[in-house]
Amino acid sequence: MVEFKDVSVTYSSGVDALNKVNLKINDGDFAFVVGSSGAGKSTLIKLILKEIDATEGTVLVNGFNLSKLRRGKVPALRRTIGVVFQDFRLIPTMTVYENVAFVLRVIDAPAKYIRSRVPYVISLVGLQDKAKSYPTELSGGEQQRVALARALVNDPKLIIADEPTGNIDPALSYEIVDLLRSINECGTTVLMVTHEHDLVRYFGGRIININKGSIAFDEVIGGSNPNEG
Amino acid sequence: MKVSSARYLVGQGMKSIWRNRMMSFASFCIILVSLLMVGVSVLVTINLNRIISGIEEQSEASVIIKDDIGEQRRDELKNEIEKIGNVATVEFYSKDSAWENMKKDMSDEQQDLFRYADDNPLPDTFRLTVKDISLMGETSMQIEMLDDVDSVKSPTQFADVLVSIKNIMMIIMTAVIAALIVVCLIIISNTTRASVFARRKEINIMKYVGATNTFIRIPFFIEGMVVGIFAAGAALLLTKFAYEGVYNIFKNDMSLWSILGVDNLYPFAKMFVKVTVSYLIAGAFIGAIGTSISAGKHLKV
Repeated sequence: MVEFKDVSVTYSSGVDALNKVNLKINDGDFAFVVGSSGAGKSTLIKLILKEIDATEGTVLVNGFNLSKLRRGKVPALRRTIGVVFQDFRLIPTMTVYENVAFVLRVIDAPAKYIRSRVPYVISLVGLQDKAKSYPTELSGGEQQRVALARALVNDPKLIIADEPTGNIDPALSYEIVDLLRSINECGTTVLMVTHEHDLVRYFGGRIININKGSIAFDEVIGGSNPNEG
Repeated sequence: MKVSSARYLVGQGMKSIWRNRMMSFASFCIILVSLLMVGVSVLVTINLNRIISGIEEQSEASVIIKDDIGEQRRDELKNEIEKIGNVATVEFYSKDSAWENMKKDMSDEQQDLFRYADDNPLPDTFRLTVKDISLMGETSMQIEMLDDVDSVKSPTQFADVLVSIKNIMMIIMTAVIAALIVVCLIIISNTTRASVFARRKEINIMKYVGATNTFIRIPFFIEGMVVGIFAAGAALLLTKFAYEGVYNIFKNDMSLWSILGVDNLYPFAKMFVKVTVSYLIAGAFIGAIGTSISAGKHLKV
């Protein structure tokens, strides 16, 4: 669960990135966060990952009160979150398998569990044939699937996808969102930041629109996707 | 931490040496040069010190004793001199031995001049060495005050010069070594920083997936340590090669250098263990600490 209570962020440059934001995303929700550049979307994500601290207000993420969270506990918070970035951020010197397994190694998971869990997650994103490939040998869409597998492998409570379709073919964008939807159906909360309105209109669901540091719109809309119920 | 995780981290450290081979090679070269500069300076200092100590040991004072004091009094006098704190050794040198030795050193023509001389003009003496050459003047004065001592001839001026040389040399060498260590640390920290900077993206990803700072640092630590150990090995071989070369040059021309006490140089074999251990510890320490400190600069995400 993610909860913002009267959260404001003012950067040292004097820019007010968020202004008294109140927001609640319950466990199992799927929400699109939309807004123009500089609206405050990235600040929202940075707050959830505790990359930055709120100037005012309280941020609660997966049971952690981030205002009171010590630096040493940040890894524990981040282990409950899977992040997918626009630029994939895969380690180029590691194979697909190693990139995904890496997350489990970080949390000191048993070797036996890694050997069974990693191939399973790679197969979930349909890349079982590419497990030994390096990121540079994959297309943009495939790289984003690896990033998704990496975000998933630790069975996180929350997945944050920051413009996950920004660097891939529009046709493949729908596949990525479909994958995120299916992950959400298994109970994982998904927060997807995007500025692709076509995608949002197609899938529908909860839309959070941020404008000039405030929530301008937070409602559930119906999508045009015939498969969506 | 599980054994499998520890093995993984060590493996990652080893792999990244090869993956980042250009940077690893740069670190290797820097650590090698640093160790060589500091190591050679230390070895030169140790040997210069030894040479000066050798010269000190060789500088004797002669205590001229009054004629015909008798064997008993001579022994008593020897005991009195030995009791003086700074005196290391005292040896009686009879006027007859002195005369014989002097004649041996003369050419035939010079010996002819003394052939008809009946009297031995030389005095009985004690030859003594001191523990601390800087106290030579003081010791000479103490001896001169003893009964039946005619005079003391000691190389006090030479001793003063030697002590000054030694002190100045120690100050200069300490300053040079300290400056070298500082320069080396700065260069190493910059090289490893460049190496770590090239992998900041990797560190950033590790942070986002919840890696602890220790987990991120360990492979860098191991990588730096291994590179440092290899550099230490290379530095050891180069030092051994260079040192033995210089040592042999001095050894092969003993006649000239032995005057200066250069035969006092330490053979490399005698210092091998100390040099090896020092190089390995310094190399591993510099590499490991330098790299993990630099990695720490990118951990604040």
